[in-house]
Amino acid sequence: MYIREAHPIDEWKMKDNDDQGICYPQPKTLGQRVAIARDFVQRFHYAIPLAVDRMDNRADALYGAWPERIYVIDEGGRVVYKGKLGPFGFHPEELEEWLARRFGGEKTPISRSAFLRNAPLAGAVPLAGGKTQ
Amino acid sequence: MLRKILIGVAILAAAGVAAVVTMIGPRNVIGMLRYDTRKDGALRPGSPAPDVALTSLDERGGVVRIADRIGRRPLVLVFGSFT
Repeated sequence: MYIREAHPIDEWKMKDNDDQGICYPQPKTLGQRVAIARDFVQRFHYAIPLAVDRMDNRADALYGAWPERIYVIDEGGRVVYKGKLGPFGFHPEELEEWLARRFGGEKTPISRSAFLRNAPLAGAVPLAGGKTQ
Repeated sequence: MLRKILIGVAILAAAGVAAVVTMIGPRNVIGMLRYDTRKDGALRPGSPAPDVALTSLDERGGVVRIADRIGRRPLVLVFGSFT
């Protein structure tokens, strides 16, 4: 979920903005948000489906998401994992552990690429190292 | 005497704040204060996941609903931005 920028150049610009060439003002329109999200996908060849929070920041507000956060929603539509707020509480390895417990011992029935293509926004997202559970 | 001490402490504190603002820049100070407005949200494990309509990155800018992705297997939501 792409939500409002954490370090746009017109708010709290960091040295990393310049070092990594990521210099955007805070988007004022949905089109600007979409454009930045597309830049992100292109730059990192991001294969996981990405959707954009609208300008009312509804997803951000309901999920307490900014600047970054991870959730897992179970098949019944309930929150089963709520990560801590980023950046200091953002720990993808906790998600990896949760998925390992949930899917431990099971084989992924389809390939990673097919999984991501066929199950957008859902399931065992590959984390650092490209490992799926 | 006490008044003079308090005035002296206040001046030193103001000078300290001014020095910090000068060192790290007023924009960073504002940014840090804003950053501190992060909200944890009301959701807890066991809470129903709120449905939200988001915008897809396809050319048509179609609607992506969280509720439509729930059901087949656990749904991982990763929130963040480019920066």
